[in-house]
Amino acid sequence: MTNIENKIFSAYQRDSALYDEIFDEDGTIKQVYQKLFNLYGEHTIEDYVKLNSKAKSSFFNQGITFQVYGDKETKEKIFPFDLFPRIIDPEEWEVIEKGSIQRSKALNLFLWDIYHDKNIIRDGIVPMDLISSSVNYLDQMNGIDPPGGIYNHISGIDVIKHKDGKYYVLEDNIRCPSGVSYVICNRTALKRALFGVFNHYQTYSVTNYAENLLDLLESVKPKGVDIPNCVVITPGMYNSAFYEHSYLAKTMGVELVEGRDLFVENDFVYMKTIKGPEKVDIIYRRIDDQFLDPLEFKSDSAIGVPGLFAAYKKGNVTLANAPGTGVADDKAVYTYMPQIIKYYLGEEPILNNVHTYHCSRPDELKYVLEHIHELVIKPVDEAGGYGISIGNRLTKSEIELVKAQIKASPRKYVAQPIMSLSVHPTYIDETEEFEQRHVDLRTFTVLGKDKEFVLKGGLTRVALKKGNLIVNSSQGGGSKDTWVLKNK
Amino acid sequence: MLARVANNLFWMGRYIERSEHIARYLNVNYFSSLDAPNQLSQSRQFVLRSMCFMVGDPELDDDKILLEENVLYKIGVDHNTPYSIINNVKLARENANSARDLISTELYEAINKFYHFILNYDSTVFVKNGLHDFTLNITEMTDILRGKIRGTLLHDPVYAIIMLGINMERATQIIRIINAKYNDALNSQGSYGDKFSKSFEWTTLLKCAESYDMMRRYYKKTPTSVSTLEFLILNPNCPRSIMNSLNQVYRHIKVLDSTTNYNKNSTAFLIGKVRSEIQFKHIEEIECNIQTFIENILQNLSEISLKMENEFFNY
Amino acid sequence: MSLEYTITYSTKNTYENIVHSAHWQFLIIPETNETQDFVTTNFSNSLAAINEFSINGYGFNTIRVNPRKAFQEITFTAEFKVVKKEINPFKFNLSDNSKLDYQELDSLNFKVDFEQYLKNTPFTTLPDGTNGLFQLDYSKSIFENLTNLNQWTYNHIYFKVDVTNVHTILEDIITKRHGVCQDFAHLFCAIARAYQIPARYVSGYLHQGNGYFGDSQMHAWVETYIPNVGWVGFDPTNNILVAADHIKVCHGKDYQDCAPLKGIVYSEGQNETQYSVQVISQQQ
Repeated sequence: MTNIENKIFSAYQRDSALYDEIFDEDGTIKQVYQKLFNLYGEHTIEDYVKLNSKAKSSFFNQGITFQVYGDKETKEKIFPFDLFPRIIDPEEWEVIEKGSIQRSKALNLFLWDIYHDKNIIRDGIVPMDLISSSVNYLDQMNGIDPPGGIYNHISGIDVIKHKDGKYYVLEDNIRCPSGVSYVICNRTALKRALFGVFNHYQTYSVTNYAENLLDLLESVKPKGVDIPNCVVITPGMYNSAFYEHSYLAKTMGVELVEGRDLFVENDFVYMKTIKGPEKVDIIYRRIDDQFLDPLEFKSDSAIGVPGLFAAYKKGNVTLANAPGTGVADDKAVYTYMPQIIKYYLGEEPILNNVHTYHCSRPDELKYVLEHIHELVIKPVDEAGGYGISIGNRLTKSEIELVKAQIKASPRKYVAQPIMSLSVHPTYIDETEEFEQRHVDLRTFTVLGKDKEFVLKGGLTRVALKKGNLIVNSSQGGGSKDTWVLKNK
Repeated sequence: MLARVANNLFWMGRYIERSEHIARYLNVNYFSSLDAPNQLSQSRQFVLRSMCFMVGDPELDDDKILLEENVLYKIGVDHNTPYSIINNVKLARENANSARDLISTELYEAINKFYHFILNYDSTVFVKNGLHDFTLNITEMTDILRGKIRGTLLHDPVYAIIMLGINMERATQIIRIINAKYNDALNSQGSYGDKFSKSFEWTTLLKCAESYDMMRRYYKKTPTSVSTLEFLILNPNCPRSIMNSLNQVYRHIKVLDSTTNYNKNSTAFLIGKVRSEIQFKHIEEIECNIQTFIENILQNLSEISLKMENEFFNY
Repeated sequence: MSLEYTITYSTKNTYENIVHSAHWQFLIIPETNETQDFVTTNFSNSLAAINEFSINGYGFNTIRVNPRKAFQEITFTAEFKVVKKEINPFKFNLSDNSKLDYQELDSLNFKVDFEQYLKNTPFTTLPDGTNGLFQLDYSKSIFENLTNLNQWTYNHIYFKVDVTNVHTILEDIITKRHGVCQDFAHLFCAIARAYQIPARYVSGYLHQGNGYFGDSQMHAWVETYIPNVGWVGFDPTNNILVAADHIKVCHGKDYQDCAPLKGIVYSEGQNETQYSVQVISQQQ
């Protein structure tokens, strides 16, 4: 507490048990934050409150909102945004970037393998159970060579900084990772509100995501296509991520389609335009596997395209991400990532994995049941932070309930030690003060044919509730602009 | 461009235009009635009935006393009446939402602001003393939207489709307003020697179409039934006239349909035909049977709309 | 010697209200394999909509139909001619050491190779406490055991139509002991897989000339993989080995993978389906 003489931080409570991103243990401000700290210090908290509400209404007017469905009416909400940015210095970023690429590539090779020869299972590195009991493993993908050999074109890797100051991966999201549009909106909002601060730092731009994405998607066009026609497919405007879908289509300069805009004829995909049918070659799909094609998967899907999978199997269209990538998104696969990286790339993992206990293994199950109060229990096939139980936050009866659930279907759960996510000063509406809040970082990696791209920024997600460790927006999380510095 | 999205753009244009006409109709009728020269035109009931007639929901019971607050609420900000201004703006925005990747950020932000303005407008203030402020804001905001449409979009098929929507709707609304005011002029003639052809309602009609000043400049005389109808229907230089709207529709359909071949089944052919029929009409022909003329025009417009839908928006 | 079959498949769908949009996918074309040569196919629909010949996710031949106009009734008619080799179902060499075969079942490579046909699906999951329904006799060869399983399934369930449907799961079949060919096939698959023997559900046509069960609909049976032999077909509905009367269309994990007709119809109200299959043989 000692060194803080800054007006805006005068009431900042620092818990020394937590890793604070901007203060050292003894309370001195970290070097990269020094200038920012001083610049923000020139403002009073009242100034900040004003800027904050301006930023909010700017999000509203830009329509960067998501729908929340209530009992009576649907409400539009903005994704809470914090005006105090997170800074990542070049050396740290290099680790994150290299680590993200390494993981994405390893996951891609893993996917190719498990949908072809399955050598990693034959060699006993991962158990067969990982695919045979995974709901996300698609038998139909067996033997299909996706165009360009890429499955996980877009990966969202969630990393955290632990107490020890090292980065750990919490999750690999390779189904339809979302959030990239917020990275860009956050930057825009911060520039509008506090443009002056950008003069003092050399920060990488984040607006080049769309062009890189399109470039890499076009590199995995189907065979025989000269100039590919790419589209983004969305479940529709009522989807909570619709803003992002439209943003991506707009910035890539491609059509944003719904299932009903497409049809399949002779195993080629077409969209219905005002000038008649137009062939589609690459589909960046933001709908889940099971809804892609009602003739092949869930027959009651009204958002898919009948016959799409046949067109894909015949190699006439690229789907990004490929169907069936969800199997590697499984939290049980996560636990094998160090071995998977070593097996395919012959490298040591650059980013750490959090140690994970498999409830499917009897000895580990026993450990989990005995130490549940110091573990985080996660269902293996849920996204969005749903179904997570944090052992030391549970009441006695809740613990018993969770134990019963694990025992009933052990394959469904994994457990990890409770990681202490680093904290970052975050402006809190209720108290009108800066407080410590836990943060993580979602990075966005795009794989193309023989090239890759990592967005130099990523989405810093903040758990806005005090002490909360779950940062997902569906669980009341917010976000911050994230600066990757070009030099220190 | 996707057929579905084209449909969205078309309707976005229509809903923007429609909300403007309804707002101005409320404003002009209400405020010009306050100092109208005859008693009937001054009557609150007369004005409220005219408003209901214009939005297509006429009050059929002659004896019923309409409450001003109810009527204003219903037409202005009621989420439950399909023709209310708030619903039109909501639909304009929904259509903009699904075509969001095609329109400019500037246009989208303006529509979005417009929507939030109406959504947050206090409805009790509106029905008590906010009518002027509310409707003025709406007409100004739609002007901003038209400015953004013209100034921030590439003049390509996206623009052409929005303009088609705007002009189709304009022709429709103007004819509906003519219909409503013609009806009012018929009803308000009588006791004070106020002849139909010199009715005060013609002035109101011109103001409803924001054409009063233009008309005065052109004819330099007090508006009569003939001069008003001639101006609003046939004058190609009046931006609000039916003639001008159809000329615009024809111009923009040509952007979508660039074929020069003779095709009697195309939308462009039908529009051209309707346009030419009006172009070579004179006002005496129209005036002697205005009711039939209005019905024919509405029928023609809906045929054009249907054909357009089948040719371009079918998905 | 070979047999020539003519198969006619027809279905008529009638809807209470007008249908504005519909998609169908037929999985009814006989496959070409060592014992059957697929000769000709004729497919038509009453609306003269385009019939698109394609494949499904497992590579089997399909026909997709998507009428681009509104309708209330549609009829599909298919005629296939297939030449089938007369085969002796027992004509293979059983290995003399069945112990090695059981070991093979247990090897990791074998399990990986046949992963798809070893895992359980909702249709082939045995209810709790039914593991002992059928006992494998390890002193006998795998083939003998499967023949016994074929007989056991045949005896355990009584063929009866209209008591089960395409959604019936094994629990109902085991307790009620009634079912049709797909129920027999599901039960057989479930038990074989419980003993680590790869088993796949087969959909096809049965020539009924010999008085077999199978109704005048499509038929279902099972293929199991026996180490050193290959895939061997069993028809538990009739307690026979699969032979020249069985004309195969496709295989999969269960009925879901093999459904002869999938349809997505956008319409409200009731609909009615009439459907018939006929298999006629001409000896060549």
